[in-house]
Amino acid sequence: MTVQQRDEAAAGCRALRIEDLSVGYGDVPVLEGLSLDVPDGALTAIVGPNGCGKSTLLKTMARVLRPSGGRVLLGDDPVHGIPTREVAKRLALLPQGPVAPEGLRVRELVAQGRFPHQSLLRQWSREDARAVDAAMAAADVAEMADRPVDALSGGQRQRCWIAMVLAQETPVLLLDEPTTFLDLKVQVDLMTLLRRIAHQEGRTLVVVMHELNVAAAFADRLVMMRAGRIEAEGEVAHVFTEENLQSVFDLDATVLHDPASGRPVCVPRVARPHLRAVAE
Amino acid sequence: MTEAILQRLEGAVTYRLPLRATVVAALLLCGSLVVLVVALMSGSFPLTAWQSLATLLGAAPSETATTVVWTFRLPRALVAAMAGALLALSGAILQTVTRNVLADPSLVGVSQGAGLAVVATLIAFPGTPAMLRPLLAFGGALAVAALILWISARRTGGATMRFILTGIGVAAFISACTSALLTYGNIDRALAALGWLAGSVHAAGWGEVRSLALGLLVLVPLLVWGARPLAALRMGEDIATGLGAAVARDRRILVVFAVASAAFAVAAVGPLGFVGLVAPHIARRLARSGPGLHLVLSAAAGALMVSAADLLGRTLFAPVQLPAGLVTAVIGAPVFVWLILRRQARGQL
Amino acid sequence: MNTVRRGSWVIALGALALAFGWHIAVGAKTIPLGTILEALVAYDRAIFDHVVIRDLRLPRALLAIGVGAALAVAGALMQGVTRNPLADPGLLGLLVGASFAVVLFHGFLGWGAAATIPVWAAIGALAGALTVWGVASAAPGGATPLTLVLSGAALTGFLGAIISMLHLIDEDTFENLRVWLTGTLAGRRTETALWALPWALAGLAVALGVARQVTALAMGEETATGLGVDVKRLQVAVLFSVVALTAAAVAVAGPMGFVGLVIPHVVRLFVGQDYRRIVPWSALAGALYMLLADIAARLVLAPIEVSTGLVTAFLGAPFFVWLVRARL
Repeated sequence: MTVQQRDEAAAGCRALRIEDLSVGYGDVPVLEGLSLDVPDGALTAIVGPNGCGKSTLLKTMARVLRPSGGRVLLGDDPVHGIPTREVAKRLALLPQGPVAPEGLRVRELVAQGRFPHQSLLRQWSREDARAVDAAMAAADVAEMADRPVDALSGGQRQRCWIAMVLAQETPVLLLDEPTTFLDLKVQVDLMTLLRRIAHQEGRTLVVVMHELNVAAAFADRLVMMRAGRIEAEGEVAHVFTEENLQSVFDLDATVLHDPASGRPVCVPRVARPHLRAVAE
Repeated sequence: MTEAILQRLEGAVTYRLPLRATVVAALLLCGSLVVLVVALMSGSFPLTAWQSLATLLGAAPSETATTVVWTFRLPRALVAAMAGALLALSGAILQTVTRNVLADPSLVGVSQGAGLAVVATLIAFPGTPAMLRPLLAFGGALAVAALILWISARRTGGATMRFILTGIGVAAFISACTSALLTYGNIDRALAALGWLAGSVHAAGWGEVRSLALGLLVLVPLLVWGARPLAALRMGEDIATGLGAAVARDRRILVVFAVASAAFAVAAVGPLGFVGLVAPHIARRLARSGPGLHLVLSAAAGALMVSAADLLGRTLFAPVQLPAGLVTAVIGAPVFVWLILRRQARGQL
Repeated sequence: MNTVRRGSWVIALGALALAFGWHIAVGAKTIPLGTILEALVAYDRAIFDHVVIRDLRLPRALLAIGVGAALAVAGALMQGVTRNPLADPGLLGLLVGASFAVVLFHGFLGWGAAATIPVWAAIGALAGALTVWGVASAAPGGATPLTLVLSGAALTGFLGAIISMLHLIDEDTFENLRVWLTGTLAGRRTETALWALPWALAGLAVALGVARQVTALAMGEETATGLGVDVKRLQVAVLFSVVALTAAAVAVAGPMGFVGLVIPHVVRLFVGQDYRRIVPWSALAGALYMLLADIAARLVLAPIEVSTGLVTAFLGAPFFVWLVRARL
């Protein structure tokens, strides 16, 4: 695929939309009647308490799960209706806690992202080599190209996985908790990388996140979920409010604003019984 | 004109061949050939290397040499090599699909299922043509594989660990059935089946050679296709889906491949233990490669392993002939322990 | 409550007596219960049936009771101490270790007479248990049900192959060991049985003695230590008991798989988690189970007799699969 073709393909199928989506495991409904328009070329973070269905939503968007009702639209095509390989050229998924086969080198892992662009007869091309190099450069893993993935630290390993989905060269990327269990500094580095991918390369990113403040600091838009429903959605500044934190997370917190970036930050309120007692 | 065609070919057909893995595969094949020649030389009627090669080329030094080589030693050596290759292929595919280095057709009962089907038929219908054995074995092995996958399937994680343990239980059950059948069946026929059950290439003839060659001819082209889905499946189910692989379909087809290759081998030589476990492991240690070349390496390692095991089995305590299956078990069990010890504690199993 | 307990013991012993009588009645010629009672109470050497009962069937029934009880108690203790639902003398390598030692020392090297068979079996069972435990503990993640069963499978495959090799190398000596290796109660081995009896009794006595502490240990090593249990000493005592019981069973009947797995789980369903009750009930249920399995071994394909070890594997393996599915 040439660059021009890719751009045309991208232009035709950018938008990711969810219409009236319902998903369940067996008879137990997990998501009910969700609708969402994912903005193009931006980083959208999905947050919510444990068990609210945010991972289920992402997996359904990536056709790992089939919905019981409604649909996911990639451009004009339903994700669950077109050939899976066609979807893989337009939408990439990084699931939670991926495990690489033993001994796999970083370059081999990243090369795996070219899978949908290859075929039985055409297993490796210059185009593939270029895409892999570009992805490794973007995710900053080029120096460790020949090291085994399982010998790397958690943050480095996650960069490699991000490089793999980048090599897939899709306009849409879905990532499930890519920063969970990592140090704050590593989380910040990864989120900076994801933001750069969204803004510089114009790709659409949807990221399920655990850390509220990291999401608020880096996302363009926030989706707040609770009990299988979307409770709030929009620009971070509009959604990340004390009222929403209270109603979605049952979290009693003060929202402050970083004077440098203007980004909101939440600080849990510590109950101070003696002060209250004095006041009363 | 020619250039244009070449250019189109270059764009359409492109492969990468890692050098080291290719060299190792070639060396393993050479090793199998060397073992083959030694197998032709050794026995109660010893030949020199030149004599056995000359016999192969039709310039036999004596009538006896022709008989010994063409009737006994050559088919036996070929059967050992091909059965080893097929069992190793089966193990390599199962391991990649289940993402578990301990998956082996004889550990999880697939080989035993093939064995039970063949023994039951041998005892109930002694007249069954040997041609049908691979088909019966395939039926038995497939039934067991489907049973294990069905029992161990569950929506939550940990499925691969249950897969192995369930397989061990099913293998014990089928072994008991087979042994009971052997007690029940006519003793003479049962004894014939018993030698076959120990994993022996002792009685192998050209019939087995033809059946195994047929198996390889059918399966190898299909595996050229299989290498690609294997590459995706080894990354795990969700990632394979994200990469655009038809996960459920591909996995089903590949398991059927693995079962079929084990069945062809078992039908010819009986359930030879641990080959499907050890050969892919040797292949991994010798050279890292993509899943396609890994299959080739495993098959070559399996061929070498079973050829060598059979050669050892019949020369070590001559004139007593130890079945190759016992030798592979004695080699394989320590490797199995080593794999248990080395397994990485990251929920892979 | 006490009457309920006493009542259940009476019912269970009654069932055991019934199975015992049935076991003696079954055979090449079915013997009526009246004759059996007569032979036990008023033995008459002149009546052929009485001789058959006294010399063949009674010893076999007693063997079944002893072997079943020993293996079931061994399995119960192993499950309690390792806190592993899949523990069983067969799965964890004790049976194959004991069989291998008997085959090697007694069969192949021809050392010693009947008296030493339980000794060889005990040495083998101990070595097998320690090997499997050692490998599993050294594996990443420690001695989990998975690593224990896998190490047991590896040892079984390895020693099984060597046993077959010894068999092929020395076929004459092995003809009588061949059937024994599949687990059988057939054939008279009164002498071996008498030499195995002290081992079984010692193992059983220790098992009853430590049962209370095993209940505590089943809640975890730290909890048990907190309750005043000397964990190391208890583990050694349990290891002795398990090895002695397994050795006695293997010496007379060969490797009889899955008995120690099935019985304690079934018993636990009825009597709960207290090993003071699990141990005696396992002994009783194991004896009953082995009597029934041996009856089945002689009835299912009559007139041909199947090895009893095959029957226990036939029944036990599906139970194992079910345990894996339900508990892991």
